[in-house]
Amino acid sequence: MLVDAFFELLNLWVLVAALAGIASGIIIGAIPGLGPTMAIALLIPVTFSMEPIPAIILLLGVYQGAIFGGSISAVLLNVPGTPSSAATAIDGFAMARRGEGGRALRIALYASVAGNIFSCLVLMALAQPLARFALDFGPAEMAMLMLFALLVIVLFGGGSKLDALLMVLVGACAGIVGLDPISGTPRFTFGSFAFDNGFQLIPVLIGLFAMSEVLLQAFDRADEVSDAEMPPLKRSVVSLVELWRMRVTLLLSSVIGTFVGILPGIGSTVPAFMSYNLARARSSEAGQFGQGAPEGVAAPEAANNAVTGGALVPTLALGIPGDAVTAVILGAFMLHGLAPGPFLFRDHGLEVYAIFEALLLSSIPTVILGLLFFRVAIHVTRVQPRHLLPAITILAIFGAFSVNNSLFDVWVMLGAGVLGFLFRSSGFPLPPLLIGLILGAPFEQSLRQALLTSGGGFDIFVGSPITIGLVALIAVSLALSLVLGLRKART
Amino acid sequence: MSAKSSGGGVSRPGFRTLTASLLLAAALWALQALDSQIQVFSFGESGPDARSFPRGVLWLLVAVVALRLVLSLRREDAALRAGPLLRVLAVVAVCILALWSMPTVGFLAGAAGAGVIVSLVLGERKPLMLGLPLLVSAVVAYGGQHGLNIPLP
Repeated sequence: MLVDAFFELLNLWVLVAALAGIASGIIIGAIPGLGPTMAIALLIPVTFSMEPIPAIILLLGVYQGAIFGGSISAVLLNVPGTPSSAATAIDGFAMARRGEGGRALRIALYASVAGNIFSCLVLMALAQPLARFALDFGPAEMAMLMLFALLVIVLFGGGSKLDALLMVLVGACAGIVGLDPISGTPRFTFGSFAFDNGFQLIPVLIGLFAMSEVLLQAFDRADEVSDAEMPPLKRSVVSLVELWRMRVTLLLSSVIGTFVGILPGIGSTVPAFMSYNLARARSSEAGQFGQGAPEGVAAPEAANNAVTGGALVPTLALGIPGDAVTAVILGAFMLHGLAPGPFLFRDHGLEVYAIFEALLLSSIPTVILGLLFFRVAIHVTRVQPRHLLPAITILAIFGAFSVNNSLFDVWVMLGAGVLGFLFRSSGFPLPPLLIGLILGAPFEQSLRQALLTSGGGFDIFVGSPITIGLVALIAVSLALSLVLGLRKART
Repeated sequence: MSAKSSGGGVSRPGFRTLTASLLLAAALWALQALDSQIQVFSFGESGPDARSFPRGVLWLLVAVVALRLVLSLRREDAALRAGPLLRVLAVVAVCILALWSMPTVGFLAGAAGAGVIVSLVLGERKPLMLGLPLLVSAVVAYGGQHGLNIPLP
């Protein structure tokens, strides 16, 4: 399978897609405010006429590139291009102020690649066995698994649990619109056929992440981006010996990023800070952290890139997205006929392994393009929002229309944009909404199928070793959240 | 963008209160309209029907939003400032106008018009730079129709 998958990659379009994806990801990620989620959502329409393998490789290249790109503005401007780069900015900007910005960016790039390679290997090792295991799942098992995933997002996603629960419920409510999954009767369609298929994921994503950003910038009208405070970038090198000294930090950070990334809804910011704190605690020069310690750059970068592979494990094997970015990638897989879930590996194993191998091999162009592009990306960080956001508005309209060649989807995108603006201005988190929207309908379907099978009896949810295990996991998660909450309240 | 609560009193309503109130109103309306919006044809099977899950989720949403509203009363809330809100409304209005007119005037004119107005709302005043949305629209329209075979309006 691995050899056959490799031969699928020997195609000029695959190489072009990988290079284009990584290069555009680095540039887009470097622009503060434009994260990988928005970039991928806006680029999905570009992949419509492509074959599934190059299409997904292009989008995953954008993901990889954007996470490294986020560190460019974090290091040079102290403005994280992505939230997960905030930890990188602490020591990266301190290094840049003493003229070591180039060195900090090189460390960030090599650490990113190390994290990516590690998480890809874990993805290749875990995703198929997990999917094979999930083939034994019936409706009751799937319902309990999705309940567990939703609970983890609410309990451990960071921020207010009440707000996360509220957003999950809003997402689940949005998922109700359309035809009932069991009886096929219309629900909240207002007699319109356009609503029968419910809200399409891609227009909603574009609205929530791209259009809402335009509205937020219109509200705040961000200050002019100035290059006055950018420290000079001197020529620098990072030796292999220096990287070897960081090997334990890189490994531990990659492990944290990968395995925290597997948990749904947590994203890459939490593991980046966890790794930073661990590296500081382990270091014999802890006092240097915050003053420009190279390991303070390497640890969060390895962790936030390792999240890429980790978050793809539940996304591809179970159809449960790990964070907002993988929710968008899940949408892209579905659009290209590769429905994530237990059957993905059985029905499209060749394509999936080709994508995994491409993700692993793309570390090579990431290093080359990263070294070539970070000087170019410095100029991109100076692009004014008023030049960029009109283009995003146009791309958002085009992207939403092109999903079904329908203006109805553009109206949905605009509505999602207004809602996204209100939610973001109110401090409500968007990832739980997205995951509630994606999991709401299948959760209801599994729940009702299970109850129909059992004649309405709830004992089916503790009727097999798998469901009992999942119920135990739910109980443990609730208890752990309670203990952590009490400990936090005491301190 | 924030307004601090004063002393031990109730904080000034802001974005959070507005959003939560809108959500509460929408959820209560949906509950009220549930029976008319979801037809149920019973074939004698036991277990939940097409209304059960929406009803449960909506009641839970009402409870959570109400709790959020109560807890928000004494919490700092992002202020609703008239000037910036007008800019947001202008962007939304121009997008609505562009979408409404798109079947008649076409994608290129509609999207370019929206782009130019967004540019102006965001503070762009240089005539040359106002041409940028026109260029982007032209490239997207040409690329979409000829490169991706998308039948744009």
